[in-house]
Amino acid sequence: MADEVFLALANPARRRLLTLLAERGREWTAGALAQEFRSGEHPLSRPSVAEHLGVLKRAGLVRDTPEGRRRVYELNAEPLAEIADWLAPFEGYWRRTLRDLAEFVENEEEA
Amino acid sequence: MKGSLIAAVTVDQFVAAQPEKVWRALTDPEWIGRWWAPGDVKAEVGHAFTLQMPVFGPIPCVVTEVVPHSRFGYTFNGDWTLTWTLTPEGRGTRLILRHDGFDLDEKRQRNAFDQMGPGWRDVVLPRLADVVESEIERAAPQEMTP
Repeated sequence: MADEVFLALANPARRRLLTLLAERGREWTAGALAQEFRSGEHPLSRPSVAEHLGVLKRAGLVRDTPEGRRRVYELNAEPLAEIADWLAPFEGYWRRTLRDLAEFVENEEEA
Repeated sequence: MKGSLIAAVTVDQFVAAQPEKVWRALTDPEWIGRWWAPGDVKAEVGHAFTLQMPVFGPIPCVVTEVVPHSRFGYTFNGDWTLTWTLTPEGRGTRLILRHDGFDLDEKRQRNAFDQMGPGWRDVVLPRLADVVESEIERAAPQEMTP
């Protein structure tokens, strides 16, 4: 599971999809998402967007619900907590280290 | 692969001292070991040095960016980059550290802190690269509703 999440995120198009899906108040169908990728720096075809959506879905980062003849896509951010778990120790380490630096500099006489 | 990088950790700290003095703590080999890890650091682009980390061991570094009293960047253990930014603030300095280059393709990196020993493991609230961070923040309220 964790590997799938990391691999799913290791692609700029999929990260952009997640960012779009994080916009609340919009109903994201595959068509609406594909529309966002039609222009811009790295345009993607509709089948490519669908393929990326599939990767995100298999990683558990995206859910889709049928609504009539359409499918509505939603972000599921729960697996992202794994990334947070991964980086949190680094943040803790640096906070302590920078505090040590501040304490040292504030008490050290300039020679 | 640079295109696959996603995450960074950013931490900031106010220091009640002038940027010149904070700069010295970062770039003077006589000083750096007294608050962090000893090493033959030098504020010169291209300079290669080693930091002797107490738990993790020797870390190879290469200086990539020097703007005296303002910005100091170096590679840290290969794929990672540390960038220190100093900004005058009142009578002191706002110091920002960005630890960049967490590659989500690399399982080795994901497990890196497990090998670093318990000194690395205290957990404080995480701050991630903007994309990942905003995902979590925006998505959190959604989980409250059924």
